[in-house]
Amino acid sequence: MLDVERTYFNENREELLRMFPGKFVVVKEQRMLGAFESIQEALGAGAREFGMTPFLVRRTDQVPENVSIPALTLGLLRANTSLTTDGSGTNS
Amino acid sequence: MPILHSQLMGQGQTPDGKPVQIHPAIVLQQRGPIVQVSVALQRDLAAGLVQQGLAIPQPMVGLALIDTGASNTCIDDEAARSMNLPVIDVGSMTSATHAQTPSNIYPVQIEIIGFKISFQSPRTMGAALREQGLLILLGRDLLQRCTLFYNGPTGQITLSI
Repeated sequence: MLDVERTYFNENREELLRMFPGKFVVVKEQRMLGAFESIQEALGAGAREFGMTPFLVRRTDQVPENVSIPALTLGLLRANTSLTTDGSGTNS
Repeated sequence: MPILHSQLMGQGQTPDGKPVQIHPAIVLQQRGPIVQVSVALQRDLAAGLVQQGLAIPQPMVGLALIDTGASNTCIDDEAARSMNLPVIDVGSMTSATHAQTPSNIYPVQIEIIGFKISFQSPRTMGAALREQGLLILLGRDLLQRCTLFYNGPTGQITLSI
């Protein structure tokens, strides 16, 4: 999803950062719609131009996000030790 | 100051099939701090669509788990697709089985039902939550605006902004 837009952003990252430091840019395919002060402004402008179709909204100085959701990624949202099993557990 | 005060109630069965109330402390321990939420398209994006005369997706109601272990708020990916929410970026999530899993990012607005506040969550990650019976994981990016009091012995949670 948004492969073309993300490639465009990555290839032009340095120039975008130099021209629009700290701004939010809206990109559709290989075209930049504009740079905006806030993500809210960027989303509104993107919706007016592109409707419900996907478009990229990213801050020019954004670094890759380190998303950590351990209970979800480890499958422990509903861990329950009272639900026992006859199988063997993990050796420690 | 909006305050949400919630106590989870539960009902079980005795071995002979009679209904019995479960203490709220046990319900809270088993289910976690959950609240009912309504999820809609992010406010500014919705306003942009309305200006263009386009229809906006209908809100969806479901359960949210308050997860202080989650750095980001997540929405069930299937629900986001069924609401036809636009994707505005792709992030990556480290999972137990894969080093990096790409995840769509959606702009949403989350209203906790009974709470007079809507959270604007413009970068909400898609994740497989439906199997857990959840629509939303409320992560620390939204909780950083809140005070959360978890009262284990009484089975109550209090959330305020």
